[in-house]
Amino acid sequence: MRKFINPANILFLCIVILELIPGKRPEGNIAYVLAFIFAAEIVCMIMVFVLKDKEKATAAGDVTSIIFGVVFLWELVVAKLDLLDKTLYPSAGQVFALFVSELPEMIKGMLNSLRILISGYTLALVIAVPAALVAGWRIRLYRVVKPLTKILGPIPPIVYIPYAIAILPTFRAASIFIIFIGAFWPIFINTLNGVFNIDKKIIDSAKVLNVKERAMLFEVILPGTIPSILSGATIGLVLSFILLTAAEMIGATSGLGWYVKYFSDFADYPRVVVGIIFIGIVVTLITFVMDKLEQYLLRWKK
Amino acid sequence: MSKIKLQNVSVTYESKGSKYLAIQNINISVKEGEFLSIIGPSGCGKSTLLNLIAGLNFPSNGSILLDEDEIKGTGTERGVVFQHYSLFPWMTARKNIIFGLKQLNNGKNNEEIKKTADRYLDMVGLSNFKNKYPAQLSGGMQQRVAIARALAMNPDILLMDEPFGAVDAKNRAILQDLLLKIWEDGQHRKTVIFVTHDIDEAILLSDRIIIMTAGPGTVKREMDVPFKRPRERTMIVKTREYTDLRNHILDLFYDDLVQKIGGEEVLL
Repeated sequence: MRKFINPANILFLCIVILELIPGKRPEGNIAYVLAFIFAAEIVCMIMVFVLKDKEKATAAGDVTSIIFGVVFLWELVVAKLDLLDKTLYPSAGQVFALFVSELPEMIKGMLNSLRILISGYTLALVIAVPAALVAGWRIRLYRVVKPLTKILGPIPPIVYIPYAIAILPTFRAASIFIIFIGAFWPIFINTLNGVFNIDKKIIDSAKVLNVKERAMLFEVILPGTIPSILSGATIGLVLSFILLTAAEMIGATSGLGWYVKYFSDFADYPRVVVGIIFIGIVVTLITFVMDKLEQYLLRWKK
Repeated sequence: MSKIKLQNVSVTYESKGSKYLAIQNINISVKEGEFLSIIGPSGCGKSTLLNLIAGLNFPSNGSILLDEDEIKGTGTERGVVFQHYSLFPWMTARKNIIFGLKQLNNGKNNEEIKKTADRYLDMVGLSNFKNKYPAQLSGGMQQRVAIARALAMNPDILLMDEPFGAVDAKNRAILQDLLLKIWEDGQHRKTVIFVTHDIDEAILLSDRIIIMTAGPGTVKREMDVPFKRPRERTMIVKTREYTDLRNHILDLFYDDLVQKIGGEEVLL
């Protein structure tokens, strides 16, 4: 029984009791808050029982406590006591309800955004990695390319947005171009440095096996540079996402950034909050996939 | 006819404008099928010498001949085993050997290559570890894979740069015996050049020992090792010849040390 007395469960009960008290704001949407915390509680319980790692189980409990704490304060201050402005601060119940009803629209926006993101990002990846492998391997090319990256790399890609939208025929083309530029430099520079700093012993042992240049580049240097490529790819991905949402706020007619900007123009702040939360979830999922991919690609490191 | 011949070989390194003579006027000739050890203190250029023969570096002066031809780069007729980290960490033990075999480009198909890789893994006693990554293997095991990879390519010449230097004493003895067994059993004996700083190891393994001194690296003495093969480590160490030879080499080392200390002012 003592097992169930923990901060997460206590806060869970507090929220349930809080929701039963009538609040000052009429539009309560109690059902959505309760549905959310029940779902969170179940997920937390499953995690705690399933996870064999004690520390991870504790962390899952702590994260749930924090989420419940936020929801509790949010509902208390906004819905029950009504201490904040109605148009600027939606209640938790209002946001959860809107989240559910807006989900199809937001998923459509996400798919639009992701299509652009994946095009630009993949283009950057398939051009930057081989180019950097060759440029890092051929010392003469390296001496030319290295100063070039120092000049072009640091230009914040966000400044290309208005110009790209002006010169390219469609918003889609402009966004892909901007994402390409944004992702290209971190991937290229990291790969280049990775190739240049690759352990000389690895290169020597490949040389004494008489490895030809093609195999040297793609079977020795490429896998040897994977850790650097991945750190560049992660930076590039985060930057791409920032650039895409920023670009969508300027010139798009659909997508996640557009969604937030569009409704804030109408002062529809509940939808803005919902959009921000949704973007947060999408980014979390993308980073999660990226982490798993990294673990797989670096499985040889202990 | 000598298999490998070094004639007046010198190597000069240049860094920040100043020149540094790493090895000077080395003349060595290695017969086909000979097991030659090169020993000397650290910094005497023994690894530099091995890298020259491997084709990873080139002499500033003099020439290195392999079967009467100048060495122009690396080649599959020379297998090299380094002290550390010569395996590709992203490939399993088996893949490392397969990767080596594939570079031979001798028209063998994948099945034959896999069979050869498995045979050599078995030879070094690592069949059960073939799908492990280097990071999951001990230093001694990694070195066994590196030796298996070099041997699987069936090179005429084996160049080994302190291959057992990072291995603990027990495993070192096992690896030395393994190397001797493989070398002595071979139908066609490989020419081996073995760099070490361990006198006992050099005596146990080699037909001939070259002793180098540092600053700049030169050949100080060459010695034949008289023991018959196959050699039994526990037997030869008990003989008078062994003790004499060992002391002789130690004297040469010691001599070097005294000269150095005598040449400079030593503050204690």
